Amino acid sequence: MNPLSAPEPLDVGTPSGGTPSDFEVALVSLNQWQLAWRRFRRHKMALFGSGLFLTMVGIAVFGPFIFPYNPIYVPTPLHFCPGSTTQLAYNGCPPLTAGHLLGTTGSLQLDLLTLVVNGGRISLLIGVGASVFAAILGTIVGGLAGYFGGWIDTIAMRCVDVLLSLPILIVITVFAKAFGLGDWRIIMVVFAALSWPGLARLVRSLFLTLRTEVFVDAARAVGVSDRRIIFRHILPNAVSPIIVSTTLSIAAIIVTEAFVDYLGYGVDPAKTPTWGNILTNAQSSIIVGNWWWALFPGLAIVLTVLGINFMGDGLRDALDPRSRE
Amino acid sequence: MIKYTIRRCIQAVPVLILITILLFFMMRVQGNPVDRFAQNPKVTAAQIAAFEHRWGLDQPLPIQYCDWIGLCGDKPPVINALPAAIGGGDNGVLHGDFGFSTFDGRPVIDIIAQRALPTIILMTTAYIIWITVAILAGVYAAVKRYSLFDSGLTIFNYVGYSLPTFWLGLMLITLFAVPPLRWFPASGMNDSYTTPGFGTDAYWAFFGSNPLFAIFDLGRHLVLPVITLVMVSIAGDSRFVRSSMLDSLNQDYVKTARAKGVPERRVILRHALRNALLPVITNIGLELPVLFSGAIVTETIFAWPGMGRQLIESLGHADYPVLMGVLLITSTFVVMANLLADIMYAVVDPRVKYD
Amino acid sequence: MTTDQPTTGAATIGPAADSPLLDVRGLRTYFHVMDGTVKAVDGVDFSIPRGGTVGLVGESGCGKSVTAHTIMRLIDIPPGEIVAGEVLFDGRDLLKLPMDKMRQVRGKEIAMIFQEPMTSLNPVFTIGDQIAEAVLLHSDVNKKEAWNRAIESLKDVGVSAPERRVKQYPHELSGGMRQRAMIAMALSCHPKLLIADEPTTALDVTIQAQILELIKEIQSRTGTALLLITHDLAVVAETVETIAVMYGGRIVETGTVDQVLLNPQHPYTQGLLNSIPGVAKRGQALSVIKGVVPNPFRMPPGCKFQPRCPYAWGRCVECEPDLFESAGGARSRCFLQAPEGVERREAYQLAAQDTVRGVVG
Repeated sequence: MNPLSAPEPLDVGTPSGGTPSDFEVALVSLNQWQLAWRRFRRHKMALFGSGLFLTMVGIAVFGPFIFPYNPIYVPTPLHFCPGSTTQLAYNGCPPLTAGHLLGTTGSLQLDLLTLVVNGGRISLLIGVGASVFAAILGTIVGGLAGYFGGWIDTIAMRCVDVLLSLPILIVITVFAKAFGLGDWRIIMVVFAALSWPGLARLVRSLFLTLRTEVFVDAARAVGVSDRRIIFRHILPNAVSPIIVSTTLSIAAIIVTEAFVDYLGYGVDPAKTPTWGNILTNAQSSIIVGNWWWALFPGLAIVLTVLGINFMGDGLRDALDPRSRE
Repeated sequence: MIKYTIRRCIQAVPVLILITILLFFMMRVQGNPVDRFAQNPKVTAAQIAAFEHRWGLDQPLPIQYCDWIGLCGDKPPVINALPAAIGGGDNGVLHGDFGFSTFDGRPVIDIIAQRALPTIILMTTAYIIWITVAILAGVYAAVKRYSLFDSGLTIFNYVGYSLPTFWLGLMLITLFAVPPLRWFPASGMNDSYTTPGFGTDAYWAFFGSNPLFAIFDLGRHLVLPVITLVMVSIAGDSRFVRSSMLDSLNQDYVKTARAKGVPERRVILRHALRNALLPVITNIGLELPVLFSGAIVTETIFAWPGMGRQLIESLGHADYPVLMGVLLITSTFVVMANLLADIMYAVVDPRVKYD
Repeated sequence: MTTDQPTTGAATIGPAADSPLLDVRGLRTYFHVMDGTVKAVDGVDFSIPRGGTVGLVGESGCGKSVTAHTIMRLIDIPPGEIVAGEVLFDGRDLLKLPMDKMRQVRGKEIAMIFQEPMTSLNPVFTIGDQIAEAVLLHSDVNKKEAWNRAIESLKDVGVSAPERRVKQYPHELSGGMRQRAMIAMALSCHPKLLIADEPTTALDVTIQAQILELIKEIQSRTGTALLLITHDLAVVAETVETIAVMYGGRIVETGTVDQVLLNPQHPYTQGLLNSIPGVAKRGQALSVIKGVVPNPFRMPPGCKFQPRCPYAWGRCVECEPDLFESAGGARSRCFLQAPEGVERREAYQLAAQDTVRGVVG
């Protein structure tokens, strides 16, 4: 027998224990997104959150067909609430009074259910729209700054720093008041314009780190152009945190926008209701016992935001390749 | 390190100036102090013109800014910027003159001084409670992972983080400040039936003679606003502390400490916590501006006579001297907070070195 | 036919004259995870005599690290579970000790060093702080004295300018220096047993040699027993007297260094040795052990190595072999060493000798 070769198996009948491959770990190849989807599906809270968010979106999209809102219609003011001789209608009628499942607001005595259901559309549109615009803008600026560095980076980041040092609430309020004109589309642009710096900073640090990764060097060594490196190599790796951040910022924008509306500087309640502007005069009625006026629009916000937060967290866990189980 | 701090402070100045320029133009663009007379039929055009002239509103915006900051005045620009003692001007922010309110004519500095203390009280109380609760809860949840407390904290975190601050304030008022439960007051800093207005001389006299009652009253008024203010922050931060602590507990050096025979409590509090707090400390520094935003909201809801509420009120009147004064102070505060966060990071983590 | 076993004169594994310092019997440590139960350590027996050195060798995932962690009771109890076994240290069963007593054993009587010195040292405390902490925990001295002892132990491990180093942070030291600091920390309380879990794997080759030299030198100077865990046969060859080879959570072969490396009794050991590239095999394809490490959730029946073993036959699938003893006290978990494997043994031994010649030359 050749001393340098591997020993031959003994010829005494084959063992019936199976071949080595029977006991090897099964390898099924999944790409990044399939893996992420699988992890997301397993995450109970993420599914619950997505369900919640989609329910609110559903209400916002289909609700107005069931409960259409007419901005011109103001009901004839009643003195007492229907079915009561003591409840002043001016303070708002409680839930489950005739024809008003969630009750009415004070003063104008508008039906709360109609308002809340219709308010969802604009609130959600502003939230999602502003978030997406801000994400695109922030990614472009942050990506260029992080990848090319140098003076592009310095200028961009100084701008971002200054913008981020401004008291965001005040600035948004100011711009909404100055340019908003009560029109939700302009308000959405205002929010987008003031949200992108945060994401730009995130994207810049992502690109900075990814740029130093070995696979970028490898791509450059083969002669890949800058543009291709950015789009084909770096961006897919950066996309996960960007998605997570964008999702979570939808929630932040919805909340901030609601406050601006509440102050009266946002969307004009005479044109369209939003969850925020329904609340504008609610505080004064609380003291006379009107708990529903403030509760239901806020509850709508809370449920939406809760859903988004669960979903965002689930996305973060699902998309992070290094997540701990 | 000292050099780095000084350098950052010097760099902060042009940033602040830029911020004030931006804010000034924003304030003036979004409203004119004379707007509040627009609906009043008794105010004649001549009176409005006189008002505008008196406040310098008829001058070009850059000149108005220059006046406000103290570069322009009686003397030529460059000279005017110097301190009055050596022949410079005496107007504008550079010389400590923050102007007067277009709404009620009072000096802006007086207004700020009066409003500063309530905000400081609110924010300091909130800050202490926030940090303490967030760290304690986060650490305990991390150490007793999978326990009931941990699950409860996670739920609380999600829900608490999702509550809009202003709505939470409204709900707390609805629950606790109106009948049937009237545990806490719905607004204000003091019970107007029993104590004089906060900050007035009468109040301090009252405070001197009945300190316990005054403090108790103040405390009672602080409860709801502080809960409103810190809810979101505690919810977010305790999660962060928890995950940071979990990360730290998974590190090899914790295993080494255990292998040395270090008692478990010491392992957690000395070895793991010290490392876990590093990112938490920077985070806390960076969240101070967020706390101030929250204070603006809280003060509005609870009619707390602080700087945040002053901002919202002045915004309504387009009272730009007051707005600029408050914003300058808060922007300085934000910039300093960021710098402090960076310095703290270098102080507590020996691996970080600035030069 | 077995050849004469060369005697080494060193202590061999097995029932020794005086009682061993560490005696592990029937140790089983399982982990209950989402997909099932992983039997990381499934029946491990070995012992270390006083002042003796043992190398625990095996590839990643064979359970050697888990064995060491179990001895020190550093296993996270959920999801881990020490299902069975005894760890007799100086007569006491460590597995039955209450935790506070166990903590007194840790550091003082048994010390452990780990693979990654960078992450194993706390980055926010100085080296001196960390070494002194160990001293303060286990001896009745004041802080100043503990600090001095820290400096002493750094000197003992060959760190230059120890007074300066002692005030430095881990990130200010090089990899080799950090590992020395770890060793200093481990030895500062003069333990009876030092467990070294892959101490050189994270270091580059020249530093590896230095650290191994250091460990050997310390061991012979102080008489501390050593349990060296590694996947690298070359590392054990120079440093320990006895070797235990692990596979699939079990010990599959034990013996002195000479016995195991020059006369491997188990086909796995033989396969490992065979895959070492050597000058004599220049121009030949590298040989490997066919197959891969078994899926911990689907372990093969009978002998765990059997699907990959060129000598396996029906008996190997039916049941798992015990550790059969051969001359000189070496043992091997293989039916080839049992009476029933006598006829097949010869072919195996020929191949084994070829392998050894290929390695040794």
